[in-house]
Amino acid sequence: MSHVVQPLDQPSNYKDSQTRIDRQRQNELLSHSTTLYIGNLSFYTTEEQIYELFSKCANPEDGGGIKRIIMGLDRNTRTPCGFCFVEYYTHAEALASMRYVSGTKLDERIIRCDLDLGYKEGRQFGRGKSGGQVRDEHRQDYDPGRGGWGAQAQRLEVERRRQVEERYADAQDGPGAVAGGGEDWKEVETSEGKLKRERSPDDEGENTRSAQRTKMEEDVEADRM
Amino acid sequence: MSYDRPYRGGRRRYRDDYDDRRRDIVESPQERLKNIIIRLGEVDPVQEIFTVEKHIRELVPPLIPNLSESFHISITEQPYKIPFYAALLRRLHEPPVNQDETSLGKQILEEFWKGFQTYVDKLMWRETRHCISFFAHLVSAQLISAESFAALLQSFTAVLDEFGISHGRAKRAALCAADGLMISGTVLTSAVPTIFDEIMTSIQTYTESTNSGKWIVQPSVRLHLSSVSVENADELLDSAINTLKALESSGFEGPYPRPYADYPQLDMMLFTPYSLPSLLVPPEVIELDGPTETEESDTKKEEWPEYFMRLFSDDITPDPNTPAGYAVRSDLLAIIDIFEVNRKESARILLEYPKWTVPGTFKLKPGAPPPEVENLVNYEWQLESTLLETMLGASLVLPDSSQKQIYYDSLITEVCKLSPSTIGPAVGKSIRKLYSSLADGLDVEIQRRFSDWFAIHMSNFNFQWVWKEWIPDLELVVQHPRRAFMRRALEYEIRLSYHDRIVKSLPEEMHPPEAHTLPYQSPGPDFMYDDPTKPHHDAAQSILNLFRGRAKAEDVITQLDTLRNTLEIEVSDSENVNSLIRFITTQSLLHIGSRSFSHLLNAIERYLPLLRTLASGGMTASAGAGNPEAKADILSASASFWKYNSQMVAIVFDKLMQYQIVDPTDVVSWTFLHVNEIDESEADLKAPLSLSTFEWDLLRGALNKAVGRVSIARRKLALLRKEDDENRARVKANMDVDGDVKPEESVQENAALTTALKAFSSLTKEQKAALSRTLEGFISCLAPTTTTAHPNPKAGEILTEDSWHNHANWGKEEWNAWETWGWYRHFCRAYSPYLRNYAATFTAVSFARFEGQSDPVSDLLQKIWNVSIGQE
Repeated sequence: MSHVVQPLDQPSNYKDSQTRIDRQRQNELLSHSTTLYIGNLSFYTTEEQIYELFSKCANPEDGGGIKRIIMGLDRNTRTPCGFCFVEYYTHAEALASMRYVSGTKLDERIIRCDLDLGYKEGRQFGRGKSGGQVRDEHRQDYDPGRGGWGAQAQRLEVERRRQVEERYADAQDGPGAVAGGGEDWKEVETSEGKLKRERSPDDEGENTRSAQRTKMEEDVEADRM
Repeated sequence: MSYDRPYRGGRRRYRDDYDDRRRDIVESPQERLKNIIIRLGEVDPVQEIFTVEKHIRELVPPLIPNLSESFHISITEQPYKIPFYAALLRRLHEPPVNQDETSLGKQILEEFWKGFQTYVDKLMWRETRHCISFFAHLVSAQLISAESFAALLQSFTAVLDEFGISHGRAKRAALCAADGLMISGTVLTSAVPTIFDEIMTSIQTYTESTNSGKWIVQPSVRLHLSSVSVENADELLDSAINTLKALESSGFEGPYPRPYADYPQLDMMLFTPYSLPSLLVPPEVIELDGPTETEESDTKKEEWPEYFMRLFSDDITPDPNTPAGYAVRSDLLAIIDIFEVNRKESARILLEYPKWTVPGTFKLKPGAPPPEVENLVNYEWQLESTLLETMLGASLVLPDSSQKQIYYDSLITEVCKLSPSTIGPAVGKSIRKLYSSLADGLDVEIQRRFSDWFAIHMSNFNFQWVWKEWIPDLELVVQHPRRAFMRRALEYEIRLSYHDRIVKSLPEEMHPPEAHTLPYQSPGPDFMYDDPTKPHHDAAQSILNLFRGRAKAEDVITQLDTLRNTLEIEVSDSENVNSLIRFITTQSLLHIGSRSFSHLLNAIERYLPLLRTLASGGMTASAGAGNPEAKADILSASASFWKYNSQMVAIVFDKLMQYQIVDPTDVVSWTFLHVNEIDESEADLKAPLSLSTFEWDLLRGALNKAVGRVSIARRKLALLRKEDDENRARVKANMDVDGDVKPEESVQENAALTTALKAFSSLTKEQKAALSRTLEGFISCLAPTTTTAHPNPKAGEILTEDSWHNHANWGKEEWNAWETWGWYRHFCRAYSPYLRNYAATFTAVSFARFEGQSDPVSDLLQKIWNVSIGQE
């Protein structure tokens, strides 16, 4: 509904410039998307701050919630570089964030949200020349939340920076580097006999997940950056 | 202003090759006309009626369906403009030059009726209600016959007589009838004198039956009273009744703009008012095609009477029990509801609202040019305060607001951004008013939402609040609602920001630990075995090193067996060793995952087999569903690891449930049995067990997980059933054609269905167990049996009137007991749709021991329960 105003939860001009999915398929993916791209974050904003704000759009009583958060990292330094992906369990929650959270402040910066096609391996890293986001390459202003322009970050933020630098020092490339976030509830085998053969506890989920992955890969061909 | 801009939103102008949906489509003349109609009154509503009329008449031949649709969109999406659309339609009723032709207006009205009929048939109540307001204005403008309109309203009051009607349906039908009567009162009651009493009696009879419902959702709590006692809040239907009474005694001197009243009378010799066809409001839809088992049908949200809080006096903001106040309130609530899709536009329209009211309703902005027209009324309310009161009022409705909490929070932020200088003081006053009412029995859920909004709001406005004005309240007892509010609000601010930043925003008096205002320390982890001088430091280090080296889960399990042998020598009790190992392992794993939420997920995911082994109780034997003590240990170890960070406790619990290490029922049980063991220094303060927002959040998380899983399983099942039916139909069709069956296909699908059914039934059981355990937990807190270690005398003592009158002198335990009652009350009403499914079982199991007993505690426990499940 709404003939009088434009709803805020429509896909915008945001796009993954390196995706090879055709537009029609992209639109279809977006119309079911559970993932948001979050931009204009401070380099110091933590996942827990993001979790706190975005959990306000979650519908746990409808089977929803925050599935995972993928922090965008500088390719070289493995430190946050001002963006992230928030993945929910349901599409409605992603839309609610577009309507109620996009354009409000987090950590005293106005953040923007966009519906995303879904996280792909490698997308957690910045694509700018020097490792961060492209927008920070050519920025002319002084932005203390995004590294300023020199090493003159504010006193209070020095300690935060130290913590931040440690936090993702162990971040890895490649498949499996990012947690899945937990799937829907599944029947747990209770009969003892079966368990003796040391079945991998998650194998059912693993299969569906890799099946999905294969399917996506067919669609995407090569989406690596 | 150009009429060619279809939207006023900002982003639209952006264009790039990616987005072909946003390309300007060339507007056809009909579309252009539609947009002109929708945008009636951008500058001056009264003047523009003539311009728009001209546009309509100039586009020949007229396309009636397009015109009718334009009216529909305009009226259902911009109800604050209804009087002006009524005037426009009145203009279009001017007799055509050729007297044999039907006027344009009448043709539109006849077509419009069909659309209205569709709304009613589909039970689209919002649209229905706005159309009725439109019709009511048309009755006043003599375009619709009063008799036929009275009959229409009667078909809505007839709904109120239905047996076992849901409150939601009754409320909506009553509001339709009330609105129609309020707006058309003068004309309607002179044509059909009995209609007023008829509608009044009907609504009043209904509302008299809602007293127990009101009792459980009233915003201020009086535990000693079994009747409704509300100050500073108004129930929606009560306001409608009071407004109708006031209108009748003033001869329906209405507060509505009536631009059509200035037009010359239609010649009644030549003109016959439209007679609305008769109509029946269809019954509520009961899903007949769904599964037959009652538990599988979707649990509908229960609706309760709606109380809206007042924050200002009647000279500042309108009293919704008066005609003008009710009209303003209805319009504002409609705007908030309709424009939920775009909070920025919503804020703009709210701030522009005065132009749609009778001049003099709101005070002019300081410095605004003097009005061109003379004030017709003299209320001069403050717009900003009215907006704040309405937005907050809607967000604080119990047990649930109609939109998500965060929508109202963000809407307030937008209104503030559009008009910072004027709205700032209104926000401050609203916060102070709510703060001051905290100790007067403000409902605990409202307190929670208030602190939530406060933190979000401050987060958007540089955390600027004059905390120093609350310094004197540091003298109050530590559990006093005001002090609890300060702690909670600051905790939420810290979650959205960070510790040092928030400390900086506070006066020195609130800094020291003795002030009990800030958390004791910044919200970091607390690894029990970190300190080399602490016992088991080395054991923990060995496990930690395995995790750090990304050892395989099986290797860690083997190592734990070795460790257990070592520890058995050191520690005497074997039960303790198991527990100790669970603590060491869980804490070490969380330590690995303590850097961020993602690290936590990675740690859990990598060591799922280990966690499952831990949860199963034994160190090696794996048994499916786990062992309750083992799971409680995992939860205790997690909660104590994050004891300085309540947000992380909730997150870890949520993910442990998500990965099926623990079940929702485990979390519920843990919360009631073990929560006070986390921080030993505070254990004493927590006996007898009381519930604060922290504990409630854990319970809510667990209950929502249980409920959410059932709803996922239900959806899955419905989908499989549908597919199964389709397949059967297809197979049958194939058989009919060539007699060829593919049995293996249908067998396979039935297997999926069987699995889904099985999952659904075990999840439903789990949901029932979680609810039942919560109910039990509350009862054992508030009415502990005589044998329990911690009797809770205050839970009964505070129920007397005398005690309440003395609440200014209440101590910590009184407030603890009061808050626990509050969360019990909220649990019952918030989960009432689910509790109702098991009403008989739960009543028998949980309340049996109060049989034949009558004391204030058990009476109140049972009354709250009975009201919530609809048995009182």
